[in-house]
Amino acid sequence: MSELFNGLIGGSAAGLMVIVVLGLSALGFYMARSRAMASGGGDRRNLHSLPNYYGWNAAMLTAVPALGVLVIWLLAQPMMIDSAVFKTIPDSAIAEGSSRGLVMSDVRRLADGLDVIVERGVMDAESAATLDANTTDLRATLAAEGVALGSAVEQPVLDAAQMYRTQSSTGRFWMTVLVSAIALLAFVVSLRLATADFRARNVVEKGILALLILSASIAILTTVGIVLSMLFESINFFRLHSWTDFFFGSTWAPNFRGDSDLSILPLLWGTLYISIIALLVAVPIGLFSAIYLSEYAGPKVRSAAKPLLEILAGIPTIVYGLFALLTVGPALVNIFGRGEQGLLGVEWMSGATSVLTAGLVMGIMLIPFVSSLSDDIINAVPQAMRDGSLGLGATHSETIRQVVIPAALPGIVGAILLAASRAIGETMIVVLGAGAIAKISANPLEAMTTITTRIVSQLTGDTNFASPETLVAFALGLTLFVLTLGLNVIALYIVRKYREQYD
Amino acid sequence: MKDLMAERTVDTQKLKISARNVQVYYGDTHAIKDVNVDIEDKTVTAFIGPSGCGKSTFLRCINRMNDTIDVCRVQGDIMIDGEDIYDKRVDPVQLRAKVGMVFQKPNPFPKSIYDNVAYGPRIHGLAKNKADLDDIVERALRRGAIWNEVKDRLDAPGTGLSGGQQQRLCIARAVATEPEVLLMDEPCSALDPIATAQVEELIDELRQNYSVVIVTHSMQQAARVSQKTAFFHLGNLVEYGETGTIFTNPTDPRTESYITGRIG
Repeated sequence: MSELFNGLIGGSAAGLMVIVVLGLSALGFYMARSRAMASGGGDRRNLHSLPNYYGWNAAMLTAVPALGVLVIWLLAQPMMIDSAVFKTIPDSAIAEGSSRGLVMSDVRRLADGLDVIVERGVMDAESAATLDANTTDLRATLAAEGVALGSAVEQPVLDAAQMYRTQSSTGRFWMTVLVSAIALLAFVVSLRLATADFRARNVVEKGILALLILSASIAILTTVGIVLSMLFESINFFRLHSWTDFFFGSTWAPNFRGDSDLSILPLLWGTLYISIIALLVAVPIGLFSAIYLSEYAGPKVRSAAKPLLEILAGIPTIVYGLFALLTVGPALVNIFGRGEQGLLGVEWMSGATSVLTAGLVMGIMLIPFVSSLSDDIINAVPQAMRDGSLGLGATHSETIRQVVIPAALPGIVGAILLAASRAIGETMIVVLGAGAIAKISANPLEAMTTITTRIVSQLTGDTNFASPETLVAFALGLTLFVLTLGLNVIALYIVRKYREQYD
Repeated sequence: MKDLMAERTVDTQKLKISARNVQVYYGDTHAIKDVNVDIEDKTVTAFIGPSGCGKSTFLRCINRMNDTIDVCRVQGDIMIDGEDIYDKRVDPVQLRAKVGMVFQKPNPFPKSIYDNVAYGPRIHGLAKNKADLDDIVERALRRGAIWNEVKDRLDAPGTGLSGGQQQRLCIARAVATEPEVLLMDEPCSALDPIATAQVEELIDELRQNYSVVIVTHSMQQAARVSQKTAFFHLGNLVEYGETGTIFTNPTDPRTESYITGRIG
């Protein structure tokens, strides 16, 4: 336990700093609170804000700027040291077939390794700093401590590593000084602010607002980051491979010797075909179950059936994939295949993987999605509509068919589009259930493959990362992203338009 | 004036709806207690009373709309033209075609104006062909006093009309199925004074063909449009009689308190 604690704190100056700053900010909380109380003459009604707000204000002011600087420093320091050390490595130290980047990572690992052995007492700090690569077998020493190096240590690499270590420790020192100074300064200032007239409540609420904005922008910026990373890799791909073949070619035949046919069309066809079958299964079943649950089912049935349906939504998709591979696929083969022994006595289907297998299982997966969204939307249709129709002498089912469903239709269409975008992006079910043959065929009993499956198979395995065969995964991913994003935007637009009608 | 009096005496002879010992329970709550009332044909009957007094609940008993509420139970007899509407042989769906209803909030369907009005006739197969249906729709819209405003845009959505127009559309929709009784549950509470005046005028015209029962919170409205008034209080029918009598010379002290604004 204490070893772990030492690892956490002794190992990194940053960990220690965080604890110190948080401690200071906790202290600030109590001191500011009591100072504010004292300045109000002990009566909280003389204060502008409740005493806790003064406390939170002090805690916030102490912790946030200091921790912010700490984070920025931690991000910037390795980059700056890297670029400084990078320049000092002589060209002679770079072996044949290696690159400066690889040597640099050796330097970093060596520097870390030296830190480890000093810390464990194998070597004192003095001798670690004055090592000579020619007299010590550093590789063996480090290996004994569990730090593996790629090759024997050369003097230039060792020099660079030593420089790395000195710069790091200087950096850590200044970081400690700066962060402590900021924390202390903020601590003092925030304590001085804690007087009866200070509008602590407003400041704290601004802080909370900033936190909320930060959270929202992290989510949005991540999306932007994902899109950009995909975009750059896709641009790399299109530098190596013609975009006409990618979008308009008809064959998908990756060839690891190069010169592959990498066309998205067969994959897109497989994706859309499977999604359409999935929707053909999910939309009627989901919609009908939603109508039953929202319009006919009694409260008892409803309270039992709804959670049961939603359990379907909680099943991991890999389990659906296994279900497709082990149950649905063989069952379909039994019906459509096996010649005389099969149910229909035909030989249309040979393997368990097919478009129909994946489509059926994906449809089952989407049922709760369609039904629970549609259920909410049907429930949102005002009771006044139903009353109006029933009051005219319509039966319950006429009311549902002619008034409730048309009123809910835009929302239901939105739900179906959301389900469609899930179907298009679904991976595990098609990896296991759809097969791996890229072709354009109308026969649902044949195995086909989808965009997501190909992304998985292009990125797993040991191919050169810079080859078009690997980079195509990003172009595929980007296309998929654009496709589902488009569907989601349309769906949300429709749903929102529908909402405006009744609220 | 003499003619009007004569007309009124003719009207009073024909009984349309008669309720005997009606009790309504919502779960354990006894919402309507022992109500007896006789409603005449070609008359506007107003139900007044403070909120929660059961007037809307009683109105909804007359076309069995309370059947759609699970916890609601109705006891006693309600007869329309001498036939018990709570008899097992009566299909509530058919009953509602005969007893139309207009609701508090205008509730046009999200369809075109034409389809809104044609909804009932289509369901009940009242039109032999398209021309026939067109006639029915036009007649209903004329009776709803909204024909001139919408005749050029029958394909426009009914939800795009103003509140008052929507309510008159709903009235037109209700009369399109040729009901014998028209129930109105606070039809003007969501409308401005001008639209209210239009709907009130309409109610007075509808009296020539239907027995109209209207629930209202506005005592002035009850006095303006109705010939008979029933005052409900805490689930009881306190007093029922000629509108003039109820408003000028009520027999029950509770009615007087309500009308003069001391309770409610």
